[in-house]
Amino acid sequence: MYGFHGRLLHIDLSTRQSSWRELEEARLRAFLGGIGLGTSLLYEFAPPGVDPFAPANPLIFTSAPLVGTGLTTTAKFAVVTKSPLTGFIADSLSSSHFALELKRLGLDALVITGQAASTVYIYINDQEVEIRAAEPLRGKSPCETEALIRSELNSPAVCVAAIGKAGENRVRFATISNEGRHAGRGGVGAVMGSKNLKAIAVCGGRETQVADSKGIEAIADSLRQRSLGSLTDKYRKIGTVANLAVFNRLGTLPTRNFQQSTFDHAEALSGESLTEHNFSRRHGCASCTIRCERLFKALNGAEQRLEYETLFALGPLCGIKDPEVVLQAAQLCDLYGLDTISTGGTLSWAMECSEKGLLPEAQDLRFGEPNALLAAIPLIARREGLGALLAEGSKRAAVEIGGASLYWAMHVKGLELPGYEPRSLKTMALGLAVSPRGACHNRSGAYEADFSGEVDRLRADAGRGALVAASEDFAAVLDSLIVCKFLRKCFTDFYGEGAELLSKVTGWDCSSDELRRIGERIHNLKKLFNMREGWRSADDWLPERLLSETLPTGVAQGTGLTSNELREMLQGYYQARGWDQNGLVPEKKLRELGLTLDRVQVVQNVPIVQAG
Amino acid sequence: MSPVIVEPVKRNASAVILAGGKSSRMGRPKALLQFDNEPLIVHIVRALKSMFAEAVVVAAPEQELPPLPALLVRDEVAYQGPVGGIYYGLKAARGEFGFVTSCDVAFTNLSLISYLTSQIADYDVVVPYWQERFQPLHAVYRRSVLPLLKEQLERGELRPIFLYDKVRTRKIGEDEIRRLDPEGLSFFNMNTPEDYEEALKRWERMRSSLTCTVELFGAARLLAKTREVSLALPQEATLSHVFAALAERVPVLVGRVINSDGGSLFSGYTCNINGLDFVRSPSARICSGDKIFILSADAGG
Repeated sequence: MYGFHGRLLHIDLSTRQSSWRELEEARLRAFLGGIGLGTSLLYEFAPPGVDPFAPANPLIFTSAPLVGTGLTTTAKFAVVTKSPLTGFIADSLSSSHFALELKRLGLDALVITGQAASTVYIYINDQEVEIRAAEPLRGKSPCETEALIRSELNSPAVCVAAIGKAGENRVRFATISNEGRHAGRGGVGAVMGSKNLKAIAVCGGRETQVADSKGIEAIADSLRQRSLGSLTDKYRKIGTVANLAVFNRLGTLPTRNFQQSTFDHAEALSGESLTEHNFSRRHGCASCTIRCERLFKALNGAEQRLEYETLFALGPLCGIKDPEVVLQAAQLCDLYGLDTISTGGTLSWAMECSEKGLLPEAQDLRFGEPNALLAAIPLIARREGLGALLAEGSKRAAVEIGGASLYWAMHVKGLELPGYEPRSLKTMALGLAVSPRGACHNRSGAYEADFSGEVDRLRADAGRGALVAASEDFAAVLDSLIVCKFLRKCFTDFYGEGAELLSKVTGWDCSSDELRRIGERIHNLKKLFNMREGWRSADDWLPERLLSETLPTGVAQGTGLTSNELREMLQGYYQARGWDQNGLVPEKKLRELGLTLDRVQVVQNVPIVQAG
Repeated sequence: MSPVIVEPVKRNASAVILAGGKSSRMGRPKALLQFDNEPLIVHIVRALKSMFAEAVVVAAPEQELPPLPALLVRDEVAYQGPVGGIYYGLKAARGEFGFVTSCDVAFTNLSLISYLTSQIADYDVVVPYWQERFQPLHAVYRRSVLPLLKEQLERGELRPIFLYDKVRTRKIGEDEIRRLDPEGLSFFNMNTPEDYEEALKRWERMRSSLTCTVELFGAARLLAKTREVSLALPQEATLSHVFAALAERVPVLVGRVINSDGGSLFSGYTCNINGLDFVRSPSARICSGDKIFILSADAGG
């Protein structure tokens, strides 16, 4: 088999047993790798209705066909599990040398189930699996853990993915970290912590065979050239932090828990200003020519990675105007292994509750108060005091506090919103409402239509449905090949070029139509998983604040989004998807996508939902 | 042309307008020439008052002037040249520093003046250098230079440039000036009736043009080292006029953000007008007062 190894490794931490299993080519062709393969394995391995923290909930790491081919931006892996934050699918991507080493183990997927009796880490050295004691690593940061494991194994070649204190304490938005980067959203780190698994260390030696290495080399050269052109200027010259100033000017910068979409101090926090005053160095993921990462200097001398979502969530969303405070808060999140978006989202909810008298035990926690913000983050990671409540995420915390606090919890399906104001980005509003993993800006690029002039971003209409569906399918393919989204504009005909690339890697005769269909199939399977886990129509919805309040400032002042507008867009989306009017996947659609017994074994037990 | 306000009022700064010249070549008092339906001195004071906390007009003894929203001071000794005017004006001013100009400069460019005053922080004098000459009557002086000016007057050194070697002087080069005032109209003095005629004609042409502001974001801002640029364009201008004017004003953007043809953007960049409409077509029409954002075409992250 080319491009894949055709097998998975299953480790059960309860029994300390591991086993290799074949992955049939038909399944890999149906779902590719990354998020697609991960979703299919989640459907297979997760018992219906499983508690995310139960030993039976699988934690799945997947590789992908383009990993290890030398193509720029492809050194990525996916982590898929049932989210402790949403109760639906959590599919997260990360990028580092860990991705390359994972594939060099000679596998396409690593499935971890069970729960160790005490804290352990897994060491996979080529074919040999060891479950090693890790009690001394408890409480260590992911970065320290990586270094200590390398030292213990006396092997600098080992690559490590680890959780921090937040993951150990099952903070529902804990991450899995590797080389300072994170599989960040949905609480995959908390699931890892629930298994008493501190880290996974890998060291492989198996190269992936490809069908047409010369053909791939030519495409790789071309993409490398394109990746260094104007289309990636933003990522190469300034990084994603560039979004902040322009989002502010466009009235799309969520501020003070979505009370506003502009921030008076945006210029001081802008990527341009950070670059001028705090820039330390540029960095990139393994195998990446774009190198979008920016490290900035904090006053304490440390270098800190910062990208837009972190900057927005720990800055304007919490009313913080001092870049130094944002850098320190980001350092803390990295230290403990916390998703910065959910951390900022949950804290901004708490700030609003506190200011409005619903959280008397947290009187200091107010918008724009740096000390309270910095003090709260370690409490969350340790689940101490107020941190015990906030570690549950804004949805559960609001249910606990009750009353008006529910109105201030800015999440979809339990996942806190990213830094795109839905009221002034209507296509994005729909994308956030329907995303299977909750409020997510990565599993579709729905904002793309809003920012392109293709549509009027301030108005809603049913036509957005088709745009969102196309964007989700496109993202599903990118996330399963895997190619970084920052390369997406460098393709002139993504599906055509992607199919050619996939054919040269795998030896399959893959067409652009097949690739489109794969994207649609993957997305539908995510939805089917959610349906199996209890999805209801009401889950595809936005927080009430967004449907009740108009924007008070900026160029989009006075713009709102009504429930009727959202309903109209939802109907447009379900129709474009070929789903019924309640958003359920009908049998006809399953047949269309080849989700049948003989083609894709994994979905043989899918509950077929009748149309209408 | 209506002044484009680029910065809030500078509270610690004064505008000093020297009005006491002899006007011998003009043949009549320059301060009283009609310009934009008002005396020139009124026109200048009004423009500068929009930007400075106060205006100080330095007139010759007995010189007649219309009512002005300014502090009026008289040369203690008539016709001591520019150094005298600067000295008496700064002495009366209450700000930490003063922007000094003369009453025969009709084309007040607030963007350039704002830039000049922004440079004073670490200097005593900020003076433009245009066409190989210092422009002492379009310069910023810290009040702390008053004793040195007094000494110059006592020694009879009536040329301001003698001061520049003695204090921390920031020379503003032509390249910096052209970014904000491509033709150097700020230094167009009306000394003769022909100059006056030329100024009136230019004014008419400028009145029939439109102004817009380009706001730069991301990589474009880092390259240009400025957040915004004001442009005067012909009526019925399109985006391609904006790109061309911007290319001329900020040449560093050419070949990186603006295509070498000067009329379009590289594929990695896009435009938004007034924060509402994303527009790439170079033929899109521009209206006066438009804010044109140049930003990355990729909103991801």
